Amino acid sequence: MNISQIIDLENFSDIDMKKIAGYRKEDGFELIVEIEKLHLGFKIKGYLKGYVDEVEVFKFKRPDKLLVNNWQSWGPSKVIQKDFQLNFPKELIQKFGFSASIMPESYFDNLLSDYYVASDRFFVGCLSSKVAHPYFQIDGDEVSVKLKYFGMNFNEWNETETIVILLDKPEVTLPYYADLVAKENVVNISDKRLIGWSSWYQYFVDFDYEKMCADLENARGKGYDVFQIDDAWEVDIGDWTPNNKFPSLEKVAAKIKEYGYIPGIWLAPFSVSETSTLFMEHPDWLVKDGNGNPKVAYENWNKKIYALDTTVPRAVDWLTSLFEHLKDCGFEYFKIDFLFAAAIQGKRFENVTPVQAYTQGLNTIRQAVGDSFVLGCGAPLLPSVGYVDGMRIGPDTAPYWDANGPDIGHPNAYYALRNALTRWYINGIWWWNDPDCLMLRKVDTQLSDVQRELYTLVSLLLDNMIIQSDNLSYEIDDGLWNVVSEYRKYGKRKVLLSGIMSGQYNITSCGVHGCDLLSITDLEKCVFTYSKDSGDIKLKKTIEIQDDGRRFNYYNEND
Amino acid sequence: MMERRYNVLTDEWVMISAFTQQRPTNPTTTCPLCVGGDEFSRPYDLASFDNRFPSMKVDAPNVESENSLYKKARSNGKCEVVVYTVDHNSAMSLMPIHQIEKLIKMWTDRYLELSLQPTIKYVFIFENRGAEVGATLSHPHGQLYAFPFLPKRIEAKVQSLAKYYDEHGRCAICDVVENEVSIRERLVYENESFVALVPFYARWPYEVHVYPKRHVSSLVELNNSERNLLSKVLKVVTMKYDLLFQQSFPYMMMLFQSPVNDVRYEHAFHFHIEFNPVKRDKNKIKWMASVETGTWAFINPKLPEEAAAELRSVEVII
Ligand SMILES: [Zn+2]
Ligand SMILES: [Zn+2]
Repeated sequence: MNISQIIDLENFSDIDMKKIAGYRKEDGFELIVEIEKLHLGFKIKGYLKGYVDEVEVFKFKRPDKLLVNNWQSWGPSKVIQKDFQLNFPKELIQKFGFSASIMPESYFDNLLSDYYVASDRFFVGCLSSKVAHPYFQIDGDEVSVKLKYFGMNFNEWNETETIVILLDKPEVTLPYYADLVAKENVVNISDKRLIGWSSWYQYFVDFDYEKMCADLENARGKGYDVFQIDDAWEVDIGDWTPNNKFPSLEKVAAKIKEYGYIPGIWLAPFSVSETSTLFMEHPDWLVKDGNGNPKVAYENWNKKIYALDTTVPRAVDWLTSLFEHLKDCGFEYFKIDFLFAAAIQGKRFENVTPVQAYTQGLNTIRQAVGDSFVLGCGAPLLPSVGYVDGMRIGPDTAPYWDANGPDIGHPNAYYALRNALTRWYINGIWWWNDPDCLMLRKVDTQLSDVQRELYTLVSLLLDNMIIQSDNLSYEIDDGLWNVVSEYRKYGKRKVLLSGIMSGQYNITSCGVHGCDLLSITDLEKCVFTYSKDSGDIKLKKTIEIQDDGRRFNYYNEND
Repeated sequence: MMERRYNVLTDEWVMISAFTQQRPTNPTTTCPLCVGGDEFSRPYDLASFDNRFPSMKVDAPNVESENSLYKKARSNGKCEVVVYTVDHNSAMSLMPIHQIEKLIKMWTDRYLELSLQPTIKYVFIFENRGAEVGATLSHPHGQLYAFPFLPKRIEAKVQSLAKYYDEHGRCAICDVVENEVSIRERLVYENESFVALVPFYARWPYEVHVYPKRHVSSLVELNNSERNLLSKVLKVVTMKYDLLFQQSFPYMMMLFQSPVNDVRYEHAFHFHIEFNPVKRDKNKIKWMASVETGTWAFINPKLPEEAAAELRSVEVII
């Protein structure tokens, strides 16, 4: 398929839009494109019939600078210039290809952006990813807008995902787009914007019940909502029962509850390791290759990891009872990881796209846990909208800051924070962004004081989730924790970030006490200025519930 | 009975709020907002509390539509009484600026806290002052309605402002402010960050709008020094009103902030406050009668430029 029309979005004219509308007959399928006026721009809707692998909806002229986005939590979201080249180490493609892209067959040889792109003057993005995977192929001076259907056959006319073109600066278009997506996917965001503790960035897999109890004891008075045990407790990936380092899950959850926290647990529900009992007993529950053999989704823990086929009825039952059981044990916060595994290409029980398989899996978990808090990680972003309460929006953080490391989703505090900035606008709209854990310890870390401070300030000013990951018996930066507590006493904040295209980020973050400013002139070197708008009035709120159930909010100065 | 009903003639929601028990006409002469009255047993500074007779409640009963013609929905919003001060005999015009500044902070916190509820779509903060606009209590207070839907006039404002933005690439109120500050004939008061003016399009004889000079979509985005300057504007406008006819001046004061749980219009929606006073003269009332109510078309008997000149010439010292 070849569309000769290339729209120039920087010198936009309405007539260009009419050129891409109408009926087309392509190889194997028919397509009708409809254009609708929308505040700030246009909505593009398509209707498809026939056998479709992928659809090119239109092309536009590539601007000098483009904000590109990877499909997954860990993947980079950043601004690229025309000379940008993907630099993904060849030896890692085999291990992490499906993590880097839902279409690794073309990802490594092309320049792709998933879901949307933005420039100083315009934005193009897709409002959903329910069946197709929307992406942008950047080729020389052109950008092609595509919907990948992975070889689906539509016997009847089928509505495509909706694409929008918005003509304004990114401070305006990015939050506006986020809201359009939320409305398209009927998001009812949780009012639980949590503070918590996680074991991962202190202990990694070297964590046990005794350490958990010690940190629970040391956490008294910290004001956490949730206390979450990370990867370390399970027998194997796929065998989600406690290993010999932990007592029963009921006991673990009860212990955490004793301290007044919501018990939280980590698992990778769509991942099945080659050494697991699940793998031995149910190879029929796994996504397969063309020869009918289980397909490796990725390699980690020095093991091959396979993907659960979320369309196999008995696998769905297993997934449901797994989460129902965890909930029965007392857990109400689920950090679900390596979620991309459910979206790898391959043969499944049902004839669905990888995107559909993924959302079916996520929906199964959501149904099983009810209104418990679900934090997604390693997850395809757009298909997760409406299913999770929180989402990791960057790579793993790390006790080090390496601005020269590879930008491919590897653990690194620098890239984790960069993504928190470049994906700021979806926070509080699609879900609560998790910029990943704060490490506030002064020992057992390579992070400098200023790196720790900037990480904390960005997380707070962007109004993200706050999860601390420290051995609390270590020397902790208490001053910084006090800043956290102070910020979190009062409700939601209104945030605006400008400078995303230049990389000089200016955050205006407003709350009841005023508008604080954080200006980052050089993220690599951690150069920033922070000004807190304190004002003269310190108003304290106390809440009283009367006998008739009515709530009284008292506001007093001083006391 | 507490529910919302949909009007197919006007595409608007009506809140039905009929209590089986009559609202008590105050049994005593004690003010319920004074310490020792029905609502407060001990001293306070400022407070916002759930209305005893709300037309919306967070836990409003579930309702089912009778059919597609008669649609119903839950009235799952919130109605709060917003008490400005413990001092019964005060008023916005009499309160210290410091107290108004605290009130602005309380309003900001209410807006932010209520916006955490995903079901809330609009937080409307207002004050009815004087018997002429139906206020039954003279204790300085306002109210707040957190709506689970976008009320009709708010929707009209959002749509017009968005349309202007699409046509001009700018916020309409930013343009109005720039224009009014340069021509000055409709200005009532101005400081570094705000203008108070009788708008070109005033519907009421002494209508005054307060616009921040900088584009913000809500109180939240004002910094502390701007909140201080806003408290001065509120003080000046209400003082001028009281001095205009040398009487406690009845008005409806309404805060228009951008919708909550929806950031789509923040660049186009410019936060503003409207004062809609009902007096056309010392002893004359401008009623919201058939034309205004039935058609939403207003006839303003007062030239806005003249009203502005009169209000401008009322001298106040703050
Ligand atoms: Zn009173
Ligand atoms: Zn404006």
